[in-house]
Formats: sequence, structure tokens, C-alpha cells
Amino acid sequence: MPDTVQFPMRFGSSSGQPVTRRDGIAKVTGTATFAADNAPANLLHAVYVSAAIARGTVTSMDVEAAKAHPGVVEVYTPDNVPPLPGDASSKPFMFAFRFEPLQDNSVRYANQPIALVLAETLEAATEGARLLAPKYAAETPRIGLDGNAPFEIEGGGFGLPGTTVHGDVEAGHAAAEASVDLTYETPEQYHNAMEMHAVVAEWDGDHVVLDVPSQALVMSCAAYGYYLGIPAENVTIRCPYLGGGFGSKAALNGPTVLAIHAARLIGRPVKLMLKRDQMFGPVFHRGATRQRVRIGVDGDARMTVLDHESLAVTSSFDDFIESAANASQGIYSAGALRSAHKGVRADVGTPGPMRAPGEASGSAALESAMDEMAEKAGIDPLEFRLRNYAETEPGSGKPYSSKALRECYAQGAERFGWSRRPLAPRQMTDENGMLVGWGMGTALFAAPMFAAKARAVIRPDGTGLVETAAADMGQGAWTVLAQIAADSLGLPLDMVEFRSGASTLPDAGVAGGSGHTATAGGALHAAGQDVVARLAEMATADPDSPLHGAGNATIVARDGRFWVEGDDSRSDGFADILARNGGAEIEGTGGANRPQEAGAAHAMYAHGAVFAEVKVDPDLFQTRVTRLVGAFAAGRIINPKLAESQLMGGMIWGLSFALHEEAKYDMRTGRVVNGDLAGYHVPVNADVKGLEVITVHEDDPYVNPLGIKGVGEIGITGTVGAIANAIWHATGTRIRRFPVRIEDLLAGSR
Amino acid sequence: MYSFEFARPGSIDEAVKALKAEEAQALGGGQTLIPTLKQRLAAPSVLVSLSGIAEMQGVCVSDDNALCVGGATPHAVVAKEAAKSFPALAGMASRIGDPAVRNRGTVGGSLANNDPSACYPAAALGTGATIKTNAREIAADDYFQGMFATALDEGEIITEVRFPIPEKANYQKFVQPASRFALVGVFVAKYASGVRVAVTGASEDGVFRWTEAEEALSKDFSAKAVEGLKVSADGMISDLHGPAAYRAHLVGVLTGRAVNAAA
Repeated sequence: MPDTVQFPMRFGSSSGQPVTRRDGIAKVTGTATFAADNAPANLLHAVYVSAAIARGTVTSMDVEAAKAHPGVVEVYTPDNVPPLPGDASSKPFMFAFRFEPLQDNSVRYANQPIALVLAETLEAATEGARLLAPKYAAETPRIGLDGNAPFEIEGGGFGLPGTTVHGDVEAGHAAAEASVDLTYETPEQYHNAMEMHAVVAEWDGDHVVLDVPSQALVMSCAAYGYYLGIPAENVTIRCPYLGGGFGSKAALNGPTVLAIHAARLIGRPVKLMLKRDQMFGPVFHRGATRQRVRIGVDGDARMTVLDHESLAVTSSFDDFIESAANASQGIYSAGALRSAHKGVRADVGTPGPMRAPGEASGSAALESAMDEMAEKAGIDPLEFRLRNYAETEPGSGKPYSSKALRECYAQGAERFGWSRRPLAPRQMTDENGMLVGWGMGTALFAAPMFAAKARAVIRPDGTGLVETAAADMGQGAWTVLAQIAADSLGLPLDMVEFRSGASTLPDAGVAGGSGHTATAGGALHAAGQDVVARLAEMATADPDSPLHGAGNATIVARDGRFWVEGDDSRSDGFADILARNGGAEIEGTGGANRPQEAGAAHAMYAHGAVFAEVKVDPDLFQTRVTRLVGAFAAGRIINPKLAESQLMGGMIWGLSFALHEEAKYDMRTGRVVNGDLAGYHVPVNADVKGLEVITVHEDDPYVNPLGIKGVGEIGITGTVGAIANAIWHATGTRIRRFPVRIEDLLAGSR
Repeated sequence: MYSFEFARPGSIDEAVKALKAEEAQALGGGQTLIPTLKQRLAAPSVLVSLSGIAEMQGVCVSDDNALCVGGATPHAVVAKEAAKSFPALAGMASRIGDPAVRNRGTVGGSLANNDPSACYPAAALGTGATIKTNAREIAADDYFQGMFATALDEGEIITEVRFPIPEKANYQKFVQPASRFALVGVFVAKYASGVRVAVTGASEDGVFRWTEAEEALSKDFSAKAVEGLKVSADGMISDLHGPAAYRAHLVGVLTGRAVNAAA
């Protein structure tokens, strides 16, 4: 026995271990290749010209000057681009968004591509694009929530939330003994993943290989195939790493398709990487919202009604409505529930899924309103939430597949010290005279699952190979999915080769909706079990195996061997079994999807509670979040280290939403004036202090065979409200416009 | 950047001569000018560097108790050399920009540029400094003439700045964290003759004296004396980093803090 204990201790399972990310060294040493790191021979560089107006037409461009610049090979404008085979103005599949393949001279939003320059060098392409010097006939842009008339939404389809009503809403309002009726605003936000959107496209006849960051590798092949007029199988996507996705890389975008189209037209490989300011336009963002939240309570502070309406900005030519009001579904028990949405069209790029789309904005308003209702009812905000705890899903009445939210509240509150919180605001100061406030919010996120497939092989040497086209955006898919696969094969992690990040592998589904580990992990688990069952059958049928005649059900796989359960004298190694039976590798396949019956019978969510402390300068109103404690129950945690990292990341997004992020538009031109990381504020290390995550134990026998929910997005929910509520508790000022601005706190103090 | 000729004269006379060339431009530490050239927003034919002129370097205290700073003296040198003789000014210099800016940027360059958010204009106006050029002496009260506008003539060089050393002074700055410029900066200086208060970063007309506060503080040099005073938000800068009302608010708070911290 070694005289030192090894940590982490392992008891035969990889799952549950805080394994360090396997791609970490490649990432920090710069050897991990991202899309734009690829440079095939004969490569041309593409740069597109961004529209400097938000609405109108391009009247002229100096194509001759651009073409005359040394190194410029081709300039594509609406005058010479043949149409894409697939119609970019149609909606042929679920995640299709309309875009501009340079077919006319109209401008629909600032930073829209209006020309594309191909050159031998990036510098020449950049200069060529500058020399085009477009002239415009500009029209007055319609920007913001008040820039246009609202329109009604017929619900249904991706990005089109309708109206959901449970119970008698009018009766709920009428029955209220106390109520709040509050309006909140959230701004336009842009993804700003570290890795800008990029593509390297190389054609061979009517086949194309794409190095492109994608959150849905296999699904995207069909989408590219549609626009390019080739079958899905003619498209190969390679994407071993993404430098952040956040939803913006789940669907196709115009500039990328245009660059691929250009590569085919010119007959050479083409690389396009967006510049940072080009991220503010054609590649999705979060639309602004104005939300009205009405809550009514009876004399015991039990909710008679929760009535949530949202108006959200979408583009003039496509629909993606931030489904903010839906955040009030599934969370609190109320006599009646209503979530309703309207849209308003503006001259901006089409919004899209961004970091808990709908949930984040909606939770910001809902959790703030809950705090105001608690204040009005004169009770502690946590007590108010407990009093309206939903034992079954509100509206549907379905039982939750699992719900350890009470434990989240209790453990989070205990760790934070919530019981010492004075009820009234402006009661606490620190040693420097800063106003101190405490606030909290509930976190909720659905636990979806998508369809996925995987393949698993046990090789003649007893090692394993597993394959699925998963997407690692930095969240840790390379690590977590390998842990699941290793367990399913009964092999230690270092004896399993995991192939991923290419569309030629089995479909792992979309890495979105916080469902990738459950989905791709489920498929890998099934494939592993399948191959292990085949190998066990081979062993038990083999007269030379110590396991001969043992029933399949009594066999367990562990450390590359089969054992008869409870009889350690009988075991057989994977490699030995294969050697005696022809020596060939053995293969299994598997798939995953939501178990249908369990899915229909249960409501499935991850839950959490977030507690925030802020300090506010009483004179200058500078606000610092000094502590954030989040307690989350999200089913089985495969890798605590990575899951906690994701939850932390989510909470930092929440901090960002509450205090930092906002795209500011020049109302005259419709351009984003802070389209860079100096002006578009996101939290830096100095902004994030005292961040703690607690993962609360939760077994879920229904959600999927592995019991996994998701941790990708839930952290942003609850956090925004918790911070806003803490600011009120510190200052006595309610700010209902996000991000909370220093000048609003100044105005509120007067 | 467009191409240009480069001259590095060794004396003020040579510099004045070199600046007579068509489209010539004086170069101090280049902390504003070089980025401007890189963005092709200026195209001088000749850059005349003032960094090689020994008589424009250094810090000393004059017989009439003024801190004399050579026009080409970098901020970091002022921060070090004036630490004992004029701690408020040294403190101001030590918080300009980042180390690169402090080691390259010069007092003459800062005052000649007169950025509405720069720190030095507040110190010069707040002390009633004298700006010495190759041709004349200009009182600070006459020197600042609005955003990026000064009393300097074409080709005129700031050779020295004389800051009368006050009994007490302090500079308070609300930093715009990305640029380290002052969102608002307030320089308060107490002299036997009265108190001067100069504000940078706030007004659309550039640095200005807050005369109401000066009068109140000249009677009673305490934060309480300015507590009730308010600056109007009219004419204050409103931008991405802060609206006019907040800047006006900062002027009041920072003035009080400067009085409390004055040493």
C-alpha cells in the first residue's frame, strides 16, 4: 500500500471525478487549432465591407479602385454575384435565418455585408475593402423598442413564442389583496465570443470541406447543403474547438455562407474571419425587451396571479423574439399564470439564441418583481419564494422529474448567511462607508434532450474507441463525454480514444439548450453498453473463457475485464476474449433521446438559488458585486470541476447582464457605437469577487438513463435579479432598466 | 501612418526654426499624436521632436516658490521629482494613463494638446500656472480656450511651466478605467490669496474654474463649505462613459474629497 493517499480518489468510475479538461494543455500552449488557424495551399483571404447605414441602399462603390489594388483577386458586389442555389430569403428548416447573399443593393441593418473582396493576403483584402468606399442613400433607421409599432405574434416555431395561459388570470388579479405592476427593460446585447465567426472553405468539385466553428456539426451540413445546392453528405465540417459559442454558432450566418459561395466561384480555398466590430450585426444577438410583470398575492402572500408580458425587438425581415415572459412558467405556484409576447421590428440584424435566450431577460424582470412583491407583502424574499414553492409544475400539474430547489435555497442561504439579512434597505455599511445590500433570486432552466448517435469499438488490444460529432465550445465536452464513454465501456479514461468535432462522425445533436452532455453523453453511454453486451455475449459463449456459461446479467465490466459479480475468481480480459475469438475489433452503436413516457409524464428542469452581495459608493454610486453564492441542483454531475466552472461562467454572465452589457446605438445612423471590447463592457477579473458554487445532490430517474440535466445556462438566471435586488437593499433605489446604470442610481437617490 | 520627415533639434532655437517648415508639427511624448498619425487623421510633412532639448527637461523650485517643469519633462519624472515639494502635483502626474504614457508623455505635450479630459490642464489652471513659451509667458487663465484650443500660436513651443506651490492642494480623479483619462478630475489648491478649483473632463468647453466653490472655500476651507453647491449639467460632456448629470454630480463630490485630502 502506498503511504500517501492519491487524490482524486477513484472507485472504478470516471463519472463524478473532477477530471481536468483534457484539451487544457493544447489550449494554453496554442496548439489547439481553431477554424481560422487553417491555411490550405492556394488560400485566398476574404474581407467583407460592412454597411455604414442601417436602412437604405448602396448607390455606388469604387470597384475599379479595389480591383486595381495589388493582391486583390476579385470583388463581389450585387452586380456580379450569381445567386446562391438555395434561397436565402426562405425558411426551409427550423434554424434557418434570412441573410444577404449580395443579391441587391438594399441595406437592412448596420454592418450588413454589402461587398466581399478576395485577395492573396489579408492586408490586400482589407485595403481593397476600404477602397470600395461605398456611397449610400440612407433612410431614417428604426431603432429600439419605440422605433416602430409593436406587432402581435402567432406563436409556434423557433423564435416565435406565443401566449400561454393557465387558470383564470382576471380572477387572479381580482382576488389579489396586494399587487405589483412593474415594467422592466433589457438592452440589446451581443455575443462577443472570444473567437469571432470564421470559416475556411475548400471545394473539390461539388464537395466542400469547412473549417468552421459550429455548435451543431451534422445538422449544419444539411443547412449548408441547402444554400449551396449540394447534398448534406457533400459537406464536411471540421470543428475540434470553438472559442465560445453561446448560441451564435448554432445556426448558419450570412457572411460564412457568402465566403463559402465565393470559394466555389473563384475556384480556390477562401478564409473569412469577422473583425470584432462585424460581430455587431449579421451573427445574432439578444434583442431588447420591455416587460410588464404583474403579481398579485392574498393575505398570506400566496400568489393569486403571475402575469408576464414582453415586447421584444426583432429585425425588419425575420423573427426571433426573446421569449422573456416564458420565464414565469414552471417556476412559482400561482392561482393563474400568463405569459404573452409581442414583437417590434427594427433596423438591426436578426436576434438569435444567446446565453439562455428568453430565460435570462425574463428571469431578470421576474426575480426583480418577486423582490418588490415580497417587500410590499412585508416578508423576506426567500420566505416569499418558499411560500409559493411549486410542488408540481404550475399550470400543467405534472410532477417534476426531480426538484431539489428547497435544498438549493437552504444550502445557498446557509453558505451566504442570509438569515442575518435585515428586511429593510439601507441598513448595512462596511468599514469604508460603502452601502451593503443582499439580494437573491431563483434559477430555473429546462432540461431538454435532443437526438444523438454514437459508435463504440473495443479494439483487439482491449482499448476503446468512441465516436460522436460533439462540439466543445470550451465547456468541456472533450473531457466529460470521454468520462461517460469510459464508464460505459468499463475502461479507465486513459484507455479510451474519443473522436469528436467532425461531421463525418455520428450525429451528437446540437450543443445548445444546455442539453449536450445529456444528449451526446446518452448516445455514447448507449453505444458503450451495446459493444460491452456483445463482447460479454462472446465471452460467456466461449468454452475457453472463465466466464463460460455465466449469465449475461451477472457480468460486470471493470478496468478492461469482465467479472462475475460477487465472484472475483472468475474474470476475463477484453483483449483475451477478442484474441480467442478471431482477433477482430468489436463494434456497437447507440442513440439517445428523451425517454418518451417519462418525458410526457414529468416536468423537467434544473433549479438553483443565487444570493448576491453588492457594495455601493454612497456618493458616487459605483457598484461592486462582492459576493455571489449559487446553489444548483442539476441532476447527476459528471465532472464537478467543469460543471462548477460552467455554473460560475453563467453567474458571471448574470453579473454582466445586471451591470455591464449594453449595445448603444447612434439613433441617427442605427450603428452600434460601442462595437468593440473597450466600449462594450463585460466583466473582467477585477469585477468578479467572492464567487461560490454549490452543486446540490439530485437523483433523477426520469430525465434520461444517466440522470443528467444541464449546467450550461442556468447560472445566468436568478443572478441578474439577485444583483438588482441587492442594489435596492443597499440603496433603497429600485432600478428597472438593465444594465443598472450609475446615473440611474444617482437619479434615484434624489 | 503616412510618411514624414523627422527632426530632433538640440535647442529651442533650432526647434523653432524647424517648425517653420510647411506642415511641420511638434512632437512631445507622442502619446496622442502617434496614435493620431497611425489612424491617418493627421499628415504632417515634418515631425519636430522636442525630446532632445536639454533646457526643456527637468524639475526645480524657483526662488518665488514655484515648481518649474521643463516643457519636455515626462510625467514620471514630475511624479518622482515633485513628490516632496508639491505632492499634489506629483500625485496627479503619477496617475496619468499607464506607465508607457507616464514615461513618454510630457507636460508641454499635454497642455499644448489640451484634451478636455486630460489631467494637466486642471493642475495648470488650478494653480494659476504660468506657461512659458519660446516667445512669451501666458497666464493659465488666458491660456485655455476650449476643447483642444489654446493661446499658442502656430509653431510656438511650451518650454517651461511654472506652478506656484500652494499651502495645500489635492487632485481627485474619477478614472475612466479603459483609457485612464479623467471622467472628471478636480484640482483644488489653497493659497494665501485664496482657493482655486479647476475641473477637467466635465465641460464641453474643456477645463474650467469652479468659481462658486472657490469663493466658498476661500472663506471656509472645508468640505462642508461646498456640500450644498451644485454644478449645472448644462454644457457638461455626455458620452458612452457617463451622462452630463453624472459628471456634474462628480464635480461636487470630487471637490469635497479633494478638500478633505488636501495636503
